[in-house]
Amino acid sequence: MHASTFAALGEPKRLEIVELLRRGPVSVGDIAGTLGIRQPQVSKHLKVLREAGVVEDEPVARRRIYHLVPSAFEELGDWVESFEALWERRLDSLGDLLTTMQATRSDAQTTPEEKEGSP
Amino acid sequence: MILQVFRKTHEHIFERTYTAPIADVWQAWTQPELLRQWWGPEKTTIPECEVDLRVGGRLRIVMEAGAEMGRYAGTRWPLEGTFTHVDEPHRLVYEARSWTEGEEAATIDHVNEIVLSARGSHTVVNLRIHVTKIGSGVKARLAAYGMKWGYNAQLDKLDTLLSSPRKEA
Repeated sequence: MHASTFAALGEPKRLEIVELLRRGPVSVGDIAGTLGIRQPQVSKHLKVLREAGVVEDEPVARRRIYHLVPSAFEELGDWVESFEALWERRLDSLGDLLTTMQATRSDAQTTPEEKEGSP
Repeated sequence: MILQVFRKTHEHIFERTYTAPIADVWQAWTQPELLRQWWGPEKTTIPECEVDLRVGGRLRIVMEAGAEMGRYAGTRWPLEGTFTHVDEPHRLVYEARSWTEGEEAATIDHVNEIVLSARGSHTVVNLRIHVTKIGSGVKARLAAYGMKWGYNAQLDKLDTLLSSPRKEA
C-alpha cells in the first residue's frame, strides 16, 4: 500500500491532480481542463492513483467522477509518524549511551582516589 | 496538507543537543560496538554491525526482533549503505537501503547526513534523512524500517518501534 501510494504521488502531475481533488470530486474532463493536460493523460494518471488506492471513481450520469480516498493519506501520515518516532527514540538512546560513556570515564578517574581513601 | 505530508515523508530533519564532547558523539555514531548499543529499540538486537569508515566504505546494520516481539520474533531489518562523506568529527554522509528480510520489494533508499557541532561542553547533532526511493512492491510499508507495529504511546522504548497489530490488517 505505502509503496504504491508513494510511487503514485511521486509524479508531479499526479500530485497536482490529487491537490485538485482535495477541493472535491471532479470529472476526468474537468481535471484535464483545469490542469491543461490532455484527457488520455489524465486517465492514465487516474488509473495509477486508483490502483494505489489514492482515488476512487463513481459514475454520475455519463461521467466518471473521481474523489480522494482519505485512508490512503492517513496511512501516509502514520508512516511518517512511525518513522520519526523511531528516530526520536533512537536519538534518546544515543543520549543515554553518551551519558553512560561519560559516567564510565569519570568513574575510572575517581576510582583511584576512592581506593586511597578506603582503609 | 497532502503536499506537506508528501514532502515531509521525503525529508526528515532532527536536531538534538547532547551534554557530551563531540568526539564521543562521533564515536557513538561510527564505532560498531557503540552503535549497536543505541541503534535498536528495546526488544530488538543488533546481530550484525559493520562500519568501514571511509569514503566508499560499507555500513551494514541488521536489527532483529527479539523473542518478546511474539510473532515478529526473528524478523530482520537490514540497513546497508556506503559512506560518501567522512569528515571526522563533523560530518558523516551515507547512502543506504533499508528493508525487511524476505520483503525486498519494500526496500527504502535514503541518504543520511549527520552534522556534529561542538557548543562548549555540548554537541549539537543535526540529522537529515532524505528518502530518495520507496520500493515499488505493494507490500512496502512500515516494515521496511521495522515499524510494522506503530506504537502504544507509553513508557518503554519498545513502543516506538513495535506494536499496533492494526497495521497488519
